[in-house]
Amino acid sequence: MKERLVNGLKAFGRLRIQTSHASIICYSTLLLILFIAFTIRVLPIRWEIPTGDVRLNEFDPYYQFSLTNKMVRDGLLSPYLENGGEGWINYQQWYPDGLDMSRSLPALPMTAAILYSIISWLGVNVDLMTFCSIFPVIFGTLSCLIIYFVGKDIGGKAIGLFAALFLALAPSFLQRTALGFFDTEVLGIVGLLAFILMFLRAIDENRSLRSSLVFSAGAGAALAYFIGAWGAAYFLVDLAILFVFVLILLKRYSQRLLFSYSLTFGLALFVAANIPYISIGYLTSGAVIPVAGVFLLLCLLEVLRHNISARTKVLLAGATLAAVVGGFIALWQLGYMQNIAGKFITVLDPFVRSASPLIESVAEHRISAWGNIYFELGLGILFFLAGLYFTLRNPTNRNVFLLIFGATSLYFAASMVRLLVIFAPAFCLLAATGIIGILKPFYTLLREAPQIAVKSKRRIARVSKEYSGVVLFLVFMLLVTNFAFAPQNGGVPRVYSQAYSPLTVSAASLPIGGENLPEPAQEWLDMLSWTRNNLQTTTVVCAWWDYGYWLSILGNVTTLADNATVNSTQIENIGFIFMASEDKAMTMLEKYDAEYILIFTTLSLAQSSEGTYYIVQPVGFGDEGKWSWMARISGQARDRFVQDGLLSAGEAWTDETDFGEYSNTTGRFEWNDAGRASTVYKLLSYAKQRWADVSGTEYGVVPDEAGVAPTYFKQAFFAGLDLKPAEASAKYGGLIPIVALYEIDWASYYAATD
Amino acid sequence: MFPKVPDQHKRGKPLVPNGIGVIYVLFTTVYLFSIYFSRITPASNGVSTPLTLAVCILFGGFMGLLDDWIDLKWRYKAFMPLIAALPLMYLAVENGLRTSISLPLIGMIEFGDAYYFLVIPLIVMIVTNTVNQLGGLNGLESLCPAIILMGLMVLSPSHLILMLGPLIFWLILAGFNLQGKIFVGNSGSFAIGMNIAAFAIITDLKLPLLISILPYVFNSSLILLTIFLVKKRASVSFDGKKLSSDHRRSLVTLITYRRPLTEHQVVVIISLLVAIFTLIAVIISLL
Repeated sequence: MKERLVNGLKAFGRLRIQTSHASIICYSTLLLILFIAFTIRVLPIRWEIPTGDVRLNEFDPYYQFSLTNKMVRDGLLSPYLENGGEGWINYQQWYPDGLDMSRSLPALPMTAAILYSIISWLGVNVDLMTFCSIFPVIFGTLSCLIIYFVGKDIGGKAIGLFAALFLALAPSFLQRTALGFFDTEVLGIVGLLAFILMFLRAIDENRSLRSSLVFSAGAGAALAYFIGAWGAAYFLVDLAILFVFVLILLKRYSQRLLFSYSLTFGLALFVAANIPYISIGYLTSGAVIPVAGVFLLLCLLEVLRHNISARTKVLLAGATLAAVVGGFIALWQLGYMQNIAGKFITVLDPFVRSASPLIESVAEHRISAWGNIYFELGLGILFFLAGLYFTLRNPTNRNVFLLIFGATSLYFAASMVRLLVIFAPAFCLLAATGIIGILKPFYTLLREAPQIAVKSKRRIARVSKEYSGVVLFLVFMLLVTNFAFAPQNGGVPRVYSQAYSPLTVSAASLPIGGENLPEPAQEWLDMLSWTRNNLQTTTVVCAWWDYGYWLSILGNVTTLADNATVNSTQIENIGFIFMASEDKAMTMLEKYDAEYILIFTTLSLAQSSEGTYYIVQPVGFGDEGKWSWMARISGQARDRFVQDGLLSAGEAWTDETDFGEYSNTTGRFEWNDAGRASTVYKLLSYAKQRWADVSGTEYGVVPDEAGVAPTYFKQAFFAGLDLKPAEASAKYGGLIPIVALYEIDWASYYAATD
Repeated sequence: MFPKVPDQHKRGKPLVPNGIGVIYVLFTTVYLFSIYFSRITPASNGVSTPLTLAVCILFGGFMGLLDDWIDLKWRYKAFMPLIAALPLMYLAVENGLRTSISLPLIGMIEFGDAYYFLVIPLIVMIVTNTVNQLGGLNGLESLCPAIILMGLMVLSPSHLILMLGPLIFWLILAGFNLQGKIFVGNSGSFAIGMNIAAFAIITDLKLPLLISILPYVFNSSLILLTIFLVKKRASVSFDGKKLSSDHRRSLVTLITYRRPLTEHQVVVIISLLVAIFTLIAVIISLL
């Protein structure tokens, strides 16, 4: 009995998972990295908890949220099927035409809606906005897990771990996967990494055919998901095509390549063509058509492999070439090839963007200066370059892919600041390869000193174990300067200052965070709460497009424009409202049935030269810094305004220089008469004056210029008016945010004009 | 702990620990980190000066260690310092450092943005490599850079604290090196070269640097021109007591050309030469 019991226990013991110490350490490290990735992304919650709600970051995530909300409420396909299949038009945005929400990629809101429904069904009680806010944190962490496997396939567990750590702490990637950043890139990077992982496994000839089949199907599904998630899918499609084409040039064609390529792209494009919003036309767009060209080339190579006569080979090659070239020409002539998405073209040729102030006014659309890239990567560039060197020295299929991925994504990142996020995974993989490539010989030397073979025999005696240890330590110190004490950001690596900052709305759009912002800034939250409680959903509020989503979704009013920027004419008109004189602005406001107009300004105090009183002046983080874009964008339509009789040719402007000039003496913009007559000047200066009157009087504060009260705009609610200087200094580092909502006095206007 | 190499210019060629310069790299890094933590030199326009300097020196040391290990090819050695130029370029741009240089007799030369993207990388590349090329004699690769560094520190009292500790430490190493007890190795010479270049850029002492390193530039020009034109390398013979040479392909061989001198004498002559140029640089800057 006892023996049976012992044997039974021994049999039970055999059920233990057999694993090595190395594996335990590896997976513990991976878990730690994932933990870091998660916690660093969730840090902004520190400012959300005191407000009692968790909101979304920046602006675009609110668009995705409203789609998700619609799907949860009315069904997954409701945004695409409403109005008899015409799609959901949200009339609370872009009044009066509304915003066609069916022109949206579905993967992100659908995934979130499905997951939210599942957790709600499981009884987890969380509101949708909180769920959407945490969503990017989870998927950002998941991306770190996937890149570990990609790195592991490329060069082993160590590369996987380094790549995962680097991605967890990559500033651009962190920014777009941190709490509240519920936007397309979140799933985009997951899809991109999942595709890379599975496609590279699918073409691996060391795997069984069945395994290739599974990974090809997986890669196809990942690519389809990516296409449905992010507009940057063209990049991945073309990257994969380029990679296969390079393999062909390197004479690495194999049946497995043809099989995997056909299955992956066949499945991906079939699914993608059936995704709402992405129509069959996607297949014939200029960026996707080369899929067919490379497929034909692969088929040709397959035929040429067989034992056929030289004459037939030449004929076949000629026919295929003619078919590919002829096909391209025919499609071009028929107009299909011109259908490359505008954004893709503007990335390939960044100078196209510079012609449009509407695109250039968005900071993330600007060309990355070298400083942006250095600020992002620091001395990690050293390891990136080393990674390029090591991958070039060992051009396996995976390394060839990595090289092409690194080079193309670097070009895209250099073209547009926002696309640093697409470069982040390539950088992480290459930098990890570089570090391991540098450290491997020294690490090996540490473990097996007597047996080590180094390149130069005469050097063997000179390299000791301790010496290797020193090299490891120096590399560690170089990493420390990148991840712990970065010189380019005053010692604090950008990733931490980026992570430890509040959501934009909870910081009232002020550029402060970390310990400098002890509690959430209430001004924007107060304004949105006021509009929600005091105005109707149908009340039209005019504001610069940056604040459109906040006002319509959090403030529950109707807006004229937002970050969707779907109607450039309407944005020009809003620019006109702000830059024109009050009388002319009222003409335009009348067209939009606007009842309120909102302006946001940020102020700070400076001591007078005598030191006896304080001067309150604008600092430039609000509309006082954005109005030049209002002037430039509306200036593009000057001819239209003149033709429509809104302005005379003499009154029309081109850009901000028509409203004054920057003075090197005072270091400020000096408004001229046209500037002082503009609506934006009056709205800004009156808000500043009111703050000085209400909160600054007892501290002896005067505005830098006396405020001008607008004629037709009456103070409705100014958030931030009661913020005392001492309070601003303690809470916001001396910055004073004022969100000023004016009610449009139509009665006065009509009385004056009748 | 350190690999030992024979001292070629001593009788019996005793083995001497090489690569001690790495201790300087570690000491300087710790020292500069301490300066950063103590906030003696606060960040200027978001860029930390001590950390920038630490990164450059670390990179120099790292490069030197690689060179000690795999004998880096000259093309890698020539261009690798460019990576360390990045933090300096960023610091210069963010702090809006002067983009012009005033040369005696010639006057002011304004480089504009080219200063950041062309001149700074060139300074880093040239100084690091020329300092690395003038060595091979006990004390030579440690004493001469120390003289230049002292000259730069005299001209920039506000940044004195950044280099005070490292200079003292380096002088201690130089003392041992002069006695033939240690070699600083490539890790030391690359690190100190990078250190001089970085410090001169940070303190905006371009002209003094330019004058001080003239002996180095002369030496490197001589070596490189001989290699490119005659395809021969400089070498010095040792008869057990004195050094001599039958050609003039480097500064050392020029000094010992048909005039046998002890190792110590050669080092003193070259150090005096560097000291004279450094003194001229200081005087011109102070005038």
